[in-house]
Amino acid sequence: MELRYLFKKTQTVKDDSLDREKKANRPSAPNGLFHKCPGCNKTIFSDELKRNLFVCPDCGYYFRMYATTRIESLADEGSFEEWDTDIKETNPLGTPGYEKKIQTLKETTELDEAVTCGKCSIGGIDTVLCVMDTRFMMASMGQVVGEKITRAVERATEERLPVIIFCASGGARMQEGIISLMQMAKTSAALERHGKEGLLYVSVLTDPTTGGVTASFAMLGDIILAEPGALIGFAGPRVIEQTIGQKLPEGFQRAEFLEDHGFVDKVVARGDMKETLAKILKFHGEHEYKPTGIKVSKTKRKKNKHTPWEKVMISRGKDRPIADDYIDKIFPDFTEFKGDRHYRDNKAIRCGIATFAGIPVTVIAQTKGANTKQNVERDFGMPSPDGYRKALRAMKQAEKFGRPVICLVDTPGAFCGMEAEERGEGEAIATNLATMSSLKVPVLSIVISEAGSGGALAIAVADKVYMLANSIYAILSPEGYASILWKDAKRADEAASEMKLTADDLLKLGVIDGIIDEPEELKRNNVDEVIPGMVSCIESFIKETADTPAAELIAARYERFRRF
Amino acid sequence: MIKKVLIANRGEIAVCIIRACREMGIMTVAVCSEADRNALHSQLADETICIGPAQSSESYLNVGRIISATMTSGADAIHPGFGFLSEDAEFAKICEKCNITFIGPNSKMIAASGNKANAKKTMIEAGVPVIPGAAEAANTPKDGLKLAKIAGFPVMIKAALGGGGKGMRVARSEDVFEQAFLTAQAEARASFGDDSMYVEHYVEHPKHIEVQILADKFGNVIHLGERDCSVQRNHQKLIEETPCESLSEELREKIRDAAVRAAKAVNYENAGTCEFLVEPDGKFYFMEMNTRIQVEHPITEWVTGIDLIREQIKIASGLPLEYKQEDIRISGHSIEVRINAEDPEHKFRPCPGKIETVYLPGGKGVRVDSAVFAGLEIPPYYDSMLAKLSVWAPTREEARRKMQTALGEVIITGIKTNIDYQYSLITHKDFIEGKTDIDFIDRISRG
Repeated sequence: MELRYLFKKTQTVKDDSLDREKKANRPSAPNGLFHKCPGCNKTIFSDELKRNLFVCPDCGYYFRMYATTRIESLADEGSFEEWDTDIKETNPLGTPGYEKKIQTLKETTELDEAVTCGKCSIGGIDTVLCVMDTRFMMASMGQVVGEKITRAVERATEERLPVIIFCASGGARMQEGIISLMQMAKTSAALERHGKEGLLYVSVLTDPTTGGVTASFAMLGDIILAEPGALIGFAGPRVIEQTIGQKLPEGFQRAEFLEDHGFVDKVVARGDMKETLAKILKFHGEHEYKPTGIKVSKTKRKKNKHTPWEKVMISRGKDRPIADDYIDKIFPDFTEFKGDRHYRDNKAIRCGIATFAGIPVTVIAQTKGANTKQNVERDFGMPSPDGYRKALRAMKQAEKFGRPVICLVDTPGAFCGMEAEERGEGEAIATNLATMSSLKVPVLSIVISEAGSGGALAIAVADKVYMLANSIYAILSPEGYASILWKDAKRADEAASEMKLTADDLLKLGVIDGIIDEPEELKRNNVDEVIPGMVSCIESFIKETADTPAAELIAARYERFRRF
Repeated sequence: MIKKVLIANRGEIAVCIIRACREMGIMTVAVCSEADRNALHSQLADETICIGPAQSSESYLNVGRIISATMTSGADAIHPGFGFLSEDAEFAKICEKCNITFIGPNSKMIAASGNKANAKKTMIEAGVPVIPGAAEAANTPKDGLKLAKIAGFPVMIKAALGGGGKGMRVARSEDVFEQAFLTAQAEARASFGDDSMYVEHYVEHPKHIEVQILADKFGNVIHLGERDCSVQRNHQKLIEETPCESLSEELREKIRDAAVRAAKAVNYENAGTCEFLVEPDGKFYFMEMNTRIQVEHPITEWVTGIDLIREQIKIASGLPLEYKQEDIRISGHSIEVRINAEDPEHKFRPCPGKIETVYLPGGKGVRVDSAVFAGLEIPPYYDSMLAKLSVWAPTREEARRKMQTALGEVIITGIKTNIDYQYSLITHKDFIEGKTDIDFIDRISRG
């Protein structure tokens, strides 16, 4: 019912004080009280935005962060000590008005240049931290930026500290021309020296990281993290569109795109950044062996009644645990780092770092999917060259930081397809075999289900190779064997017996070093029953190899394979 | 003095505020959601601004939109009513920053009252009794028993990380303590993966008593008597009355004093309510401070003759209280019942829909605060309260009879309401005899 026109409204005595009142006393929103979100156009109370680390609470849009607030959100309270704030600006090309522009920016931003460098602790571990700020000429890299970063890296090398750089930049600073270009070489060289000392460099790519910064220190991290949705590329999208005359697809050059293409280890939400960095620093810090306390009584192994063909079927079983299950149970703090840094992140192999009995280890796992969808994503556990190159990268990194490598082997074989050949499946496997043979850190491989051919061996040139009791390891599938030798794939069961692919046979042949017992029916839901056996196997391996000099390890590994 | 108030609320409380403003010659701005375009408050106010879709988060809880409506309309103050943003410290803070008078306490007080642990500490320091129990947690029955002895039996053992009634046990005496502690602890371990336990005094069959406070910006604090809100279902108040006759004169004074001390301890300002639990033996404990106008404020207005909304506006305008404690006379007895659009036969589920006919009672000593009229569509998005019926008479029994009479006249058709249920409570033997505590509804529902 429309009552509004029937009600009598407020009668006020004529009072013009409303108009006379000073404007200052009238309600008004002070500047900076609210922010408008470019993502969803909603107004956000600035305090709330700050509490949410400048991520829109409604749509998740990432605002660019000031260097100071970024440092505040990362460094342990009061731990940041700023370095090199007084490097003199130069104008190498004599660009008119450049000095004035810099001076104005210094005043409005309260920054001395586009990067803030210093030392702090994150999660209690000391590190050098450099943070770029796009408010200062789009954080372009001129001589001062290059110098500040180089000095910070040099000092980190001297003091044996890790380096974390939060990158954000439009690229080289045009006003400084060729001198700006030289900063790319200078910073890269400093980081190379830092890395050669076995020190950690983590680069974090934030919106936008482009041009000469991408093509130098941004892409050199041992670990490269990125913020969700950040624009990352060498050439800017507009330039590319103009050059090729095409519209670029949605998501092109965004953090997730780079992760898929193997150039970013991990896209990390801003709210998780501090914790992730603290974890990475901890993986690379001091460690002490803490026994797991898990002991497996050395009872005589139960006689395994399965025929070889039955074992083939068991190892391929739909409900058989996949590598993810073992990772969850054995390495609860496993942190995955993706990408081969060349072409793609191949999901058939997962690599990461975890602590095992207090010791950081590199975990490399071939993994099938838990369901059809995941199996399709992971090519049913058949790695492409990108997968092997990712594993290689993880191994080289393990070598740099002196971590043992634990490989979980589970693949029907390397991926068979055109793209795999185009990108050199054979070359990728071969390189792994050769590199692993001389890797300076201990390598343990455990066959958890199916180890098919070169695709399996590419992560199994190890000091010790173990197998779960019902897993298999062979030159190719029994079906393939039967079809090549007898032109009849149906005789696979017969082939399975001839091929000597069971753990018991392989132990006799000296191909493997031991067998880990498994229950009668190992399924994803009773995976707990094999965990103690695996943990104890890994723990004794780590203990045995802990003090073995690299040369000895390599010599023994050489002999291990030399004798075949 | 405030000249134009934006009411950031809906329903009967918005109407109540509009009326108070109109009486004071203050212009009113209503805000409404798309579902409330025809609501009474939208039609009654001098100006109405629709601030968004029906969901509260998009309208009555949307700070940005309410602030812009305030600026656009030129209002200089916001009355938040109860519920919605009324106890949102962040909202109060934004009002302060925008030079908008928030009719209520300042943001710091709201935040301080919201922090239960700190508030408890402040009250202990001010000598206001709180539920005994150590702030520390125990992990063994032995340590737990030490805490239990400090708290005094019976005690409530509850998981430090607890919630949802899990890992909670009452132990009535020392000899059953260990068993209760271990059972609760086992539950806590299973549910929360942590077995540290708090032990505090268990308040048995208490009455819910609250004291109305008024405090101005000059440190003057007075109370306007207590309200007995013990008749509750699932922590929802159903019937409130004042004064609470079962309290002795001495105890009543003690509780009222404690409330004033509590308000002074936090330098409170504007209208507020201190909630207490009172045990049958007369021990009482401070629960919390509600930093807003309460639903049940009309009964206090009945017995004191003071218009609380008007006082809120005056205090917010910076005027000193015109009353001293000795000026406050509490006379007669007042009862209020809440009439809700809900179905008592189906677990009190809300029953939105279109109101066909309405007849509301009147007469001497009868007051109705409502926003309903025939033809109004009750939207499903908000609280189900339709109206508050309150009465005044010289004695409790006379007031109860008046309520019974008035309630018998309330007619609302088209939707289900709890009128008959409330009628059965008002005429219940225990209610007639004043034997109500917070377990009253539970007791009578079990039969």
